[in-house]
Amino acid sequence: MSEILVELEHVGVAFHAQRSLGGGRFWALEDVNLQLRRGDRLGVIGRNGAGKSTLLRVIAGILEPDRGKVRRGPVSCQLLALSLGFVPYLSGRDNAVLSGLLLGLRRREIIARLPAILEFSELGDFFDQPIATYSAGMSMRLAFSVAMQAEPDVLLIDEVLAVGDSEFQEKSGAALRERMREGQTVVLVSHSEEQIKRRCDRVVWIEHGRSVREGARDEVFAAYNDALHHVAEAV
Amino acid sequence: MACAPARATQCVAGGIGYPQRPLLPALSMRRHLIELILFSTYAELRAETARNYLGLIWWILEPAMMMGAFWLVFDVILKSGGPDYIPFLLIGLSVWQWMKSCMTHGGYAIWSNLPMVRQVPLPPLVFPLIAMLSDTVKFAFIFALLVLLLWALGYPPNGSYWALPILFGAVFLAAAGVGFLISALVPLVPDLRFVIEQVLTVVMFLSGVVFPLSQVPPNLQWLMALNPVAVVMDDARLILMHNQLPNWVGLSKVYLISIVLCTVGVLAVRKLAPRFPKLAG
Repeated sequence: MSEILVELEHVGVAFHAQRSLGGGRFWALEDVNLQLRRGDRLGVIGRNGAGKSTLLRVIAGILEPDRGKVRRGPVSCQLLALSLGFVPYLSGRDNAVLSGLLLGLRRREIIARLPAILEFSELGDFFDQPIATYSAGMSMRLAFSVAMQAEPDVLLIDEVLAVGDSEFQEKSGAALRERMREGQTVVLVSHSEEQIKRRCDRVVWIEHGRSVREGARDEVFAAYNDALHHVAEAV
Repeated sequence: MACAPARATQCVAGGIGYPQRPLLPALSMRRHLIELILFSTYAELRAETARNYLGLIWWILEPAMMMGAFWLVFDVILKSGGPDYIPFLLIGLSVWQWMKSCMTHGGYAIWSNLPMVRQVPLPPLVFPLIAMLSDTVKFAFIFALLVLLLWALGYPPNGSYWALPILFGAVFLAAAGVGFLISALVPLVPDLRFVIEQVLTVVMFLSGVVFPLSQVPPNLQWLMALNPVAVVMDDARLILMHNQLPNWVGLSKVYLISIVLCTVGVLAVRKLAPRFPKLAG
């Protein structure tokens, strides 16, 4: 069996309901158990507000649990964040370097990858113009091209992104699929059952901040759909 | 691996089933953070010059306009300036502006970067450091102009200038200490910003920035002398105007206070760091 990269045991995360004196706390995650192994393509399913995005941020090491344990090997877990730290008045090139540094790359690594970023983003001469002059599509193309340069051990994706025009969407989707085929460990959050079925082999189902079930994709989906069916019937 | 069972833990595993820790990860991480801080400082300065029509000129023009306003009020209208008032004011305001901007820009940096704090697991101290470094670069430009102006006013560069880096080290450490403390608290209580601006204005007037402390009644002067900002103001003028070395005893006390402030500030940021990603921006 492949090595465990991240393990969550009875993890709970609480937020303050509002910024005011005496504001109460609510538990976005109450009790989540999870094992992530190298090479896993893990989908996270659950209804709106179930705690899926919070779970991703715990795995990424951004949020520390208020109860329970997170065990993490010496591996990098990176949220696929677009336009990270982008500054409108800087050129595409400078923004690529800045964003790459924020994604955890060394400066010389990003500099070496600038030609690849330029090529993938198809920005041409605009690469040296301030990104304030870009269209929304151009900006997203740059953002995606930079984000794909980070090569974390675990890639965390909060909803598969529709980036730029349809041609670039196809290209960016293909790049992500290629990553997954190469054995990248991925955790994917999506509302789309179809997306998760297509891209993941294991699934964890989160409900009201608790991990209800974790296991093989079809098995968890069967239980999830059963539960949804019962709820619909009860209504 | 042992994690304390009683409380929430986030720990690096090294036991069976987990990959081994890579060699020297901390060193590599530190180098990466230094690169990030330096490039972000460059990016911030570059963006600031690109944002306005006059760009770089504002770094000089803005403090110059403020100095003009104080000169008008204290020297022209109130006639309370005295013979050396212009160099006195130029030095006081240049140094104070640097301190104040490190304290406020650095102090608000984590709060204003909360959207990023929620997306990347970076040590939050990075944000105040970037703000303070970019303010320090701006001060370097202002200081170069200050030296030229003083020269034109009859105070040429002198042999005591060698003590300036020691003095500026104390100024930066004091401002950074206060800035770190503010940066730890403002994300949790953003309302503090309104108080901080007012407190800093009072500190400026109580520190001999715009008028000499000799104008303060003698029974209050001992109180003013305890103020570290007043000490560095005096020292800056001793060096730049009078070719004298700073008051080493006073400056040592400033260093001591600043190191304590920095330690408390850094510890406060580190202690509160887990709470920042949970805060709404």
